[in-house]
Amino acid sequence: MARTPRSAAIRTRTGVQPLRFSSTVQMGSIEGAKAENGVAAPACNGGDQRNGGGGAAVRDSEAEAGRKGKAGAGVALPLEVGTRVMCRWRDQKLHPVKVIERRKIPNAGPNDYEYYVHYTEFNRRLDEWVKLEQLDLDTVETDIDEKVEDKATSLKMTRHQKRKIDETHVEKGHEELDAASLREHEEFTKVKNIAKIELGRYEIDTWYFSPFPPEYNDSSKLYFCEFCLNFMKRKEQLQRHMRKCDLKHPPGDEIYRSGTLSMFEVDGKKNKVYGQNLCYLAKLFLDHKTLYYDVDLFLFYVLCECDDRGCHMVGYFSKEKHSEESYNLACILTLPPYQRKGYGKFLIAFSYELSKKEGKVGTPERPLSDLGLLSYRGYWTRVLLDILKKHKSNISIKELSDMTAIKADDILSTLQSLDLIQYRKGQHVICADPKVLDRHLKAAGRGGLEVDVSKLIWTPYKEQG
Amino acid sequence: MSRLSFRPRPLDIHKKLPIVKSIKDFEDDDAPATAASTRNSQLLRLAADADNEQVHQTPGKKSSQEIPTPQFSVVATYERDYARTFAQPTSYLRARGARAEIGEFVEYDLDDEDEDWLEEFNKERKTLTPEKFETLLFKLEVLDHKIREKAGVITPTFVSPIPVLLKLDAAAEALQSLFVRFAVFQSVYNYWKGKRERWQKPILRCLQPPPPVNDTNPYNVFRPREKAHRLHTRRIQRRENNVQSFEKLRQVRRNLDQVKTVLEALIKREEKKREVMECEINLQRIQLKYKHEAQLVEDRSALPGFIPAPCKFGSREDDLMDSDDATNGRPHAWPTAVHLQSIDYKMAMVPAGRMRQDLKRAPLRNGWLRKMDPNEPVLLFARGVDPDKLAAAGIVRPPDPSIENGSVAPPYRFHGRIGRGGRIIFDRWNPLLRAPLGHESSAYVLPSPLPPPNG
Repeated sequence: MARTPRSAAIRTRTGVQPLRFSSTVQMGSIEGAKAENGVAAPACNGGDQRNGGGGAAVRDSEAEAGRKGKAGAGVALPLEVGTRVMCRWRDQKLHPVKVIERRKIPNAGPNDYEYYVHYTEFNRRLDEWVKLEQLDLDTVETDIDEKVEDKATSLKMTRHQKRKIDETHVEKGHEELDAASLREHEEFTKVKNIAKIELGRYEIDTWYFSPFPPEYNDSSKLYFCEFCLNFMKRKEQLQRHMRKCDLKHPPGDEIYRSGTLSMFEVDGKKNKVYGQNLCYLAKLFLDHKTLYYDVDLFLFYVLCECDDRGCHMVGYFSKEKHSEESYNLACILTLPPYQRKGYGKFLIAFSYELSKKEGKVGTPERPLSDLGLLSYRGYWTRVLLDILKKHKSNISIKELSDMTAIKADDILSTLQSLDLIQYRKGQHVICADPKVLDRHLKAAGRGGLEVDVSKLIWTPYKEQG
Repeated sequence: MSRLSFRPRPLDIHKKLPIVKSIKDFEDDDAPATAASTRNSQLLRLAADADNEQVHQTPGKKSSQEIPTPQFSVVATYERDYARTFAQPTSYLRARGARAEIGEFVEYDLDDEDEDWLEEFNKERKTLTPEKFETLLFKLEVLDHKIREKAGVITPTFVSPIPVLLKLDAAAEALQSLFVRFAVFQSVYNYWKGKRERWQKPILRCLQPPPPVNDTNPYNVFRPREKAHRLHTRRIQRRENNVQSFEKLRQVRRNLDQVKTVLEALIKREEKKREVMECEINLQRIQLKYKHEAQLVEDRSALPGFIPAPCKFGSREDDLMDSDDATNGRPHAWPTAVHLQSIDYKMAMVPAGRMRQDLKRAPLRNGWLRKMDPNEPVLLFARGVDPDKLAAAGIVRPPDPSIENGSVAPPYRFHGRIGRGGRIIFDRWNPLLRAPLGHESSAYVLPSPLPPPNG
């Protein structure tokens, strides 16, 4: 299976969280892609729960009579939240959607609404506002009988079965979050507040909700200064800002430079506003990130491509200054225009190079998103199998850990998931058949951009004073 | 799929694990009947798949490309908005002080509301540039913050609306250097104050206090984290120099003295134990020697052609002394007087150091027939049972069952031996397998009453 994990969505959670960002199905995952190819049912993404018992009311006798019957041309407008309908997507084809929210179009007729829809085949990141013209009203199904249906099924099912369904329902990628907090999260983040951002050269469609200050709630597009990451609501404001902004690179120390690629270390305490801006921005593309706590306990490692206009951020990862759980990475993001170019793998490799310099083993903060786990599994597989291929004599997991700065648990889980640790004659052995290793290595994908350790000039963080 | 029938012991991460370079090693080196072999065949299959993986690859690749993500596009005005004024220095870039420290940079950016108000304000004639307006708002924010700081009303978190303390006159005076006409300044001040009162918090983001720690509103972000107080209790205690800590230290001393007494007693006890042990070892050595040399006497008499080397035998009085007892074959029956006498004799003869050396060497030797060293002890349980002696002692060998029913199974001979403590042990017999217990590896075959058919 070809794995080209885009390291876009690895969430972080930095403490207790009344604020929980999560989503339903991570369709961006490889697993999701498989399902998309026609294996599994595509629409297990919480659409029902999202609106369960919410706005779906019985509207007319026609709908009442025909359960989920086609309403046809006589459909009542505006459509209710919870309606299922086909919608023309950017590929000009019709896709099934569910109406999540609706709003009046300003300065239009009383029944002129636009609808926030969830494409049931895809990840939540593709949810968007659409006009009525995009919807095929002949395919309208109202979920009016959702409650009744739920009741019927719940009667037939034992409590255990029900629980099982509930569990599997939320499972993909959010094993660590319980169903209740997941639903709370979905309710809170169900509609993206910012639809687009402009950041440097690119205008980017956002993926998820981000809790910007309330003053920004009324705008669907934000303009970011690509250097200090301040955000504004109008283009003119950005242009005026650009005339005075004195930054051409992240406000920290450059700790790595190789060709046009540079890495900057930014202290969240010294550059609070920058750190916060970065978090607001990152949250737009990470479902499982919390902005609950302040940034001063974190260091931000911002990766840039540099040219004569400045150093343009392509991605970043954050890291706790002191991690009690030996985390060497809290949150990681490659911005969409730079995805699938190997930057994510570079960021992961970089985080381990820092751990090696610290003389510590490290591990990413949990829970990992599906995409995150995939990227990490790929990295671990490549690093460990490359060693096993060359290594001749016996080797312990601890030695592997010391060589790679990968935590022993992660090494074990990686080797075990590849079935490379066998129990023979009362002892564990590592199977390193070159054919098997090559196969796994191929499946793990390319290594991406290499980290040239000789170009890393860095000393571990020390508290001042 | 296939599970090991036993639970593997947990993997020790410090233990060196062998690296097996070929799966075939797994197949060859073990009995095929173990449950683990299914796992290996799975591995073999994996290896085989490596050759025709083209088949597996294609669908996976296709689907990964199909994962849709939201789109992005290139901003047309980018080249104009961002000037080509950056030159990378040869050395790595270093961070300057944060913007707030530099102080010159106008951190505030006008928002929609500000722009709209300014447009309205400039409607009749252009009196205020956006840049100037921005600067004014920024300076007003900073001044107000300083005043609140002086008044001591800065709260670490956002618990209640933040009031404006800056007065118009004070502001105008402080910002004289900006050369703004008072009328304009007054309008800006009033606009700013109105906005502040609506927002109920500073409009400059870096001056807005974070939400309180216990606030659970998910829209509020970037709470301060409670500082985890690391208690340096030990260091603090050590520094204290009062009656309490004196008493504590005296208590510690008393405890240590008691520990010392207990440990000394313990050492004495262990020394005594060692002495007792050495005595017992001596005793046993002497007993063994008696037994062993008596046996040699016996052997010589059984094989008339055998002439023992003089160094082996006959040079010691004690060998002769118990020779009549040896015929008995039962050590327990030795007369007590001889027993004690021999112990005394040995104690005098063998220094303790040498004895220990002998004992250490003993387990390495397994060829008991090479009795070259007369000091070498012979352990009773390692000796076979002499049927004649058994008969003499009135012990009858159990009958051989294979002879009884006349089956074709090879006749089995009992291996009797003397166990620890002098018991006589016969290996047990499995009547179904017609083999001694402990040899079950041979296939289980029911003894057939019929002779095998010819052909």
